[in-house]
Amino acid sequence: MSASPGVDGARDPSGQPPVPETFVRVMAAAELPAGAKKAVDLAGKSVLICHSNERVYAVSNICSHAQERLECGRMSRGWIACPMHGARFDLATGRALNPPAKLPIATYEVRVIGEWIEVNADRG
Amino acid sequence: MSAEIKERTAADKGQARCPGAPSTQEIIAADKVAAPGWVRSESYSFLGDEDIPTARYLESSYAQEELDRLWTRTWQFACREEHIPQIGDYYVYDLGPYSFIVTRVAEREVRAYYNACLHRGTKLRASGTMGRASEFKCSFHGWSWNVDGSNRTVVCPWDFPHVDRSRFSLPQARVELLGGFVFINMDSDAKPLAEYLGPEAKAHIEAWGLHDRYIHLHVSKRLPCNWKLAIEAFLEAYHVIQTHPQVAVSNGDANSQYDVYGEHVNRFISTLGVLSPHLYGKHTEQDILDQFTLGDSGALGEVERSLGEGGKARGVMAEMFRGMFEKATRTDLSKVSDSELLDCFSYTIFPNCFLFPGVSLPMVYRFRPDARDHRMCLYEVLFLRPVPVSGERPEPAEPIHLGDSQSFTAAEGMDPGFGAILDQDTDNLFLQQEGLAASAKRGLTLGNYQEIRVRHFEQAVDRYLALEPKRPDWQRLQKR
Repeated sequence: MSASPGVDGARDPSGQPPVPETFVRVMAAAELPAGAKKAVDLAGKSVLICHSNERVYAVSNICSHAQERLECGRMSRGWIACPMHGARFDLATGRALNPPAKLPIATYEVRVIGEWIEVNADRG
Repeated sequence: MSAEIKERTAADKGQARCPGAPSTQEIIAADKVAAPGWVRSESYSFLGDEDIPTARYLESSYAQEELDRLWTRTWQFACREEHIPQIGDYYVYDLGPYSFIVTRVAEREVRAYYNACLHRGTKLRASGTMGRASEFKCSFHGWSWNVDGSNRTVVCPWDFPHVDRSRFSLPQARVELLGGFVFINMDSDAKPLAEYLGPEAKAHIEAWGLHDRYIHLHVSKRLPCNWKLAIEAFLEAYHVIQTHPQVAVSNGDANSQYDVYGEHVNRFISTLGVLSPHLYGKHTEQDILDQFTLGDSGALGEVERSLGEGGKARGVMAEMFRGMFEKATRTDLSKVSDSELLDCFSYTIFPNCFLFPGVSLPMVYRFRPDARDHRMCLYEVLFLRPVPVSGERPEPAEPIHLGDSQSFTAAEGMDPGFGAILDQDTDNLFLQQEGLAASAKRGLTLGNYQEIRVRHFEQAVDRYLALEPKRPDWQRLQKR
C-alpha cells in the first residue's frame, strides 16, 4: 500500500515558506484493505479514504454535482462513481470523468506512516 | 453445353479451394496436441454469387431503416458480466439513439432498462458510464427507480394523480448471459439466444470457457466508414497478402477455412505458423518462426525464437507458447491443442460481436453505428486473458479511447505488432467508404469461398431490413 505522490514535505509553488504540515492519523492501514473505502470527518469536512489501484487516496466525500455522499459509490481502478446520478471522479486528481458532474472534487494529501494512514485535510 | 453439364457447374460453385496448398483441417490434423471437435469440423454453404448493392453503406435512410428494423430485433453484446459483478452495478450500453442501463439485480439475474426517465425523458445515467446504484434517480426532478426497475419515487405525487406507480416500472430489453457476455435484445418477441445462435455455434461458444477470462485491455476508436464495412474488413484472410504482407509469411491465408452456421453466426479458421500459399518457395521455416505476430505478446515478454534441428515453425511455436503462456498467465494449458494456442479463430455473432477464442489472439471486437453519421462507426477491441489459477479475478481494464487520427499502437498495453495490423486494416476503410460513393459500379463482387462470411452477414441484414419497423411498446416492456 502506498500513498498519493507529493505527500512529504510539500512546498508552496509560490516559493513561500512551507505551511506546517497538519497530518492527522485517521485509521490503521489494516482497516482499509484493497478495494475498501471509509468516510471520516476531518477539520469539518467529510473525507473519503479509498484503497484502489494499490494506492491510498483521500478525496472529498461530497459529489460536486448535487452534493450527494460518494461513500456508497462504486470504486474501481482509481475512480469512484456517485451512487445517486452516476458522476465519476478520478481519485488521484479529483477530476470529473463523466456527466452529470463537470467540477472536480477536492483531493487531500495522504500518507501511510508505519501502520497508520494520515491525512492533511488543510491542504488539497 | 448440355443441360447436365450446366447443372453440375452450378452445383460446384463455391467448392474450389486454394490449389497446391494443404487445407486448414490437414494442417491441424498434423499437430502434436490434437484439436477438439469444434475446431475439426467444416460448415461451408454456397450462398449465391450476385453483387451486394452498395446503397446500404452510403445512404442515411438505409441506416435509419437498420435502426428501426435490425437493431431493434437482434441480440447484441452489451457488456461483460465482469463489468457488473455486484448487485446494483450497472453499465450503460448505447446503440445509435438507443441506450440501456444494464444492471445486476440478483446473483444470476441481469436486466437492461431503457435509459430514460418516465417523467420527461431525461437519461437516468449518462452514456458511456458505469457505477453502482441503490436507485436510479433522475438528475432533473428526482423521480427514481429501484434496482429491480419498480418505481421508487414520484416527487410531489399529489400533482400526478394520473400516474399509477405500479404501472411506471422501467421498460426492459431482453437479457441473456453466455460465456461471460451480457447480450440484450429490444424485441420482446425475439427467439431465445440459444435458438438465435443455433445448437452448433452455441456449443462452440460454451466450449471456450470465455466466462473464465477477464478484460486485460480495452481500446476504442471511431472509424471513418459505415459499421458494416468495418466488420467486413475482418471477415476474411483474403486481404492479408496485400494489407498485412508482414503477417503473410506466417499465415495460411489463402487456405483458411470459412464456415457459416444458421442465420447469425459465421467463422474462419486461419492457421498461423505456416507459410502463405502466395509465398511458397520464398521463405524458410526460420522466417516463419521469426515473423509470427501475436495479439497478446505482452503475456510472453521477449524470447529467442529457435527452430532447432529439423524443427517446423508451427510445432516449435506451439510448444514454446504453451509453456510461456502457462507461466505468464498462471494457467494450465497442457490439454489445449496446438491449434487453439496458435490459430486465428474469428466468429461473428450478428450483428455486433466478434469473438476470437484462441489463446495467442484472444480478442473480442464490437462494432456499432455512429449515431451522428452513418459513414462513421465505433470499433472496440478487448483482449481477454485467462483468469489466474488463483481464481482472483482482476478488475476489467478501463477503455482507452483513441482519437480519430491516432494509431492503435498509441494505446498503452497494445502489442506494437498487433496495433500496426489494426492500423493497416482500418486505414483501408476511409478509402473504401469514399470509393463506394465515387464508383460507377454499384455492387460489391465477392469471392465464393473466401468472402462467404461477407455474403452471409449481408444476407442477415437483408432479412431484417425486409421486416416492418419495430417500435418499443413501453407499457408492454415493463416487468411487473
